[in-house]
Amino acid sequence: MADKEFKGKIEQALDNSTLRGALGRFGEFYEKAREQVYEGYDFQTLRDQVAEVKSYAASHLDEMLDQFERAATARGAKVFRAETGEDANRYISELALKHKVKSIVKSKSMASEEIHLNDALAAKGMDVQETDLGEWILQLCHQTPSHMVMPALHMTKEQVADVFTDHLGRINDPDIAALVKTARSELRSKFLEADMGISGANMAIAETGTLMVVTNEGNARLTATLPRIHVFLVGVEKMVPKFEDAGCILQTLPRNATAQAITSYVTMVTGPTPVYMPDGTIQDKELHIVLMDNGRRKMYADDKFKKTFQCIRCASCLNVCPAYQLVGGHVYGHIYTGGIGTILTAFLNEEKFAENPQNLCLQCGKCAEICPGRLDIPEMILELRTRFAEKKGLPFTQKFALDIVANRRLFHSLLRVASLAQKPLTKGQPVIRHLPMFLSGLTEKRSLPAIAPVPFRDIFKDIPQNVKDVKGTVAFYAGCLVDFVYPKIGEGVIAVLNDKGYKVVFAEGQSCCGAPAVYMGDKPNAKKSAMLNIEALKAESVDYVVSACPTCTHALKDSYPALLAGDPAWEERAAVLSRKALDFSKLLANLGGLPEGGDGRPLKVTYHDSCHLKRKMGVYLEPRAHLSRTAGIELVEMNESDHCCGFAGSYSIKFPQISAPILEKKIKNIEATGADVVAVDCPGCLMQISGGLDQVNSPIKVKHTAEILLEKRGD
Amino acid sequence: MLRLTCKEWVHVPNQEERPESLYEGFQKKLTAMAGECVRVRKAADIAAFLIPFFQENKIRTAGLVESPLTRAGRLLERLREAGIEMTTDNLRQAAPSVGAGITQLKWGIAELGTLVQIGTDVDQRLLAMLPPLHVALVQTSELVPTLAEALKLIHSLPQIPGFVGFITGPSRTADIERVLTIGVHGPGRFLAVFVDEDVREGE
Repeated sequence: MADKEFKGKIEQALDNSTLRGALGRFGEFYEKAREQVYEGYDFQTLRDQVAEVKSYAASHLDEMLDQFERAATARGAKVFRAETGEDANRYISELALKHKVKSIVKSKSMASEEIHLNDALAAKGMDVQETDLGEWILQLCHQTPSHMVMPALHMTKEQVADVFTDHLGRINDPDIAALVKTARSELRSKFLEADMGISGANMAIAETGTLMVVTNEGNARLTATLPRIHVFLVGVEKMVPKFEDAGCILQTLPRNATAQAITSYVTMVTGPTPVYMPDGTIQDKELHIVLMDNGRRKMYADDKFKKTFQCIRCASCLNVCPAYQLVGGHVYGHIYTGGIGTILTAFLNEEKFAENPQNLCLQCGKCAEICPGRLDIPEMILELRTRFAEKKGLPFTQKFALDIVANRRLFHSLLRVASLAQKPLTKGQPVIRHLPMFLSGLTEKRSLPAIAPVPFRDIFKDIPQNVKDVKGTVAFYAGCLVDFVYPKIGEGVIAVLNDKGYKVVFAEGQSCCGAPAVYMGDKPNAKKSAMLNIEALKAESVDYVVSACPTCTHALKDSYPALLAGDPAWEERAAVLSRKALDFSKLLANLGGLPEGGDGRPLKVTYHDSCHLKRKMGVYLEPRAHLSRTAGIELVEMNESDHCCGFAGSYSIKFPQISAPILEKKIKNIEATGADVVAVDCPGCLMQISGGLDQVNSPIKVKHTAEILLEKRGD
Repeated sequence: MLRLTCKEWVHVPNQEERPESLYEGFQKKLTAMAGECVRVRKAADIAAFLIPFFQENKIRTAGLVESPLTRAGRLLERLREAGIEMTTDNLRQAAPSVGAGITQLKWGIAELGTLVQIGTDVDQRLLAMLPPLHVALVQTSELVPTLAEALKLIHSLPQIPGFVGFITGPSRTADIERVLTIGVHGPGRFLAVFVDEDVREGE
């Protein structure tokens, strides 16, 4: 759970309009530019190659390191293996002392920041100069990077000008071209004076002992060409088996990092090359390569985090993260930022430093969709969350709430009581616009729906199912929101499935799918929910299990088998349920979809993709097809239709201040379409988006696809 | 900033030549990365192109590392004759202050608009990095279609050269407010001069 200090940092970041502006503009530019720069390339194939190359290197790490060391040594480099950051710092400091090094230029190395190499060298009296422009700015004003690829993304030109003015003792105007020119001339003299250069590398090729560095500024080239001693500090996860394997990484790294087909420079260093010595002679320089572990092997040894070795540090997971886009990198608290940064911090710094930032993940899955190394970052973050919860326990209120949810009878009777108790708040409307006191954050930018007077489980009994020619039986899994808030969606599902020739059964014993417990890291309660629902739904006796909530479907399909893996009493039953469970739109498509039909009355509809439906189940064409085949409906696409609405289950309760601006953006995109109705396939999104529209008094309605089909096609 | 105006030296495409579409693809990609690109027929045409180009851009000094193309085109002599102050040695001293660096690069990658520099020679590297303009000479016949082929070619050498540089346009940064700014640590202008005539002397 996020602590007070952390929440304070979030508030600060959200109040920083400079940061918000820069991040927002970048977020909007990045996604489309990235798509364009992949035109003509098959991203899926490229990322398969990256994942294969990197996972091979990771699973043969010792072999790779040995091979690299042999090849590099044969070419005249000196290779040092550093188990810890201290080892690396000591080796590099001693080397510098031995060679009477006074001034050092550095091209970008996140690994060096991870181990505070600059401090270690400064302590020995050396002048260490960052030369990447962003890193230099940060060095001058004693800040840490807020983005792994664009370290000073959070600063304005005015701030940079002030930093330069302070440093140089003369006025610098906030003119970007002039500032860059100043940096060029200041750093140029540093390059020419330096005795030692220190670089990071993007790849270390085991086969040939080659180090590859991808840059735009050209500082890595100068670092590799001017000083008489050159040190590469390389994390062991940078290994790549063969020279040609670099191809897929060179094709994806710049495209994903900054939406460039290739950077201005790619520098490949294999063994020492000639340099000018201080006396004017030309001789081979000293080349040292420090291969550093510092927690990386531990990360690889952990089955759930193995895939971090497939990361190529493009930072695209930051670029598309809705939370990062709002709060920036500094709230993550350490060198590595964003989704991948949270994981790296846990292993390469200290686990406890990841405890707060892991909360920022909405589990929307956008980063996993574009990751060139095929890392499932949200899953890894969830694993961290679960481990923290197991180790330290959840806060009392959270635990209490989850315990209640896991107890069906208690939970459901509380919901029924709440339906009556909410009356003063709803003021006779179907929504709650304001909550008192500490709960007010929940209704600040959106209204909450009122609990339905009669839950679906009671309505179900009275639904006449006139199915001629019964083709089979479908068990309906309602989930809390359909059961207790939006029973109408359930009616739509039944009508459509009856139409397709299926009888629908509803098991009284079903309860919450357990997703809240899963996403809060409460495994015991999640398991309890899994068993309860497997028992209730009896998937063995029906043809399909359908849900109209993608989060629930994801729980039935994917979470239950994972939660119950290795449990002989449940494993098989979980597998059967997983096979038969489908989301409404998907099942309807599998059953042949709908014939042309509908009332023909014009209705402009825009579709919002739920995170779980699109990215966990790959379903996004199906609901659009159902809607398009309904006479009268004109389907218009909104901008960023698959961006998270900010609901993300309990997230909107944990971080209403982050959830609200995400929702605001969604509302703007919806309003821009001029649609009458937003169609969604997830009751969570429905709740969030209709709450947001209600707060801005918009006439636009939000409806579940099943509801729309019922209205437009029901007799 | 002055852009290329010496159109008369620019090669007129001829359909029968093999690297034609490669060159066009290359040119498109490099120009998109703010690089400049020109193509001439003979090694002798390099000087004929560069002399007015330097004059237009007020470039009076240049550093040069001799290579098959510079020798075949008598580039050093002809630039000197045209009044350009040329430096060829002790380049660590000279390279930071000359107006342009002239070097021959090995291959071009059409897919990306990238030139491949085999930079074992330190002077050749310095001239490609320190002056404000880098003029990169390359044989049109050394254009390869893809990155994958270029990597294969590099790997097919007796050993991977100590320094291999891919260059795609001028040095750039977007570190302040993400505004693209050209010419931070390396050259602010990058000009690729493709030469059709095959010159294999001294390789």
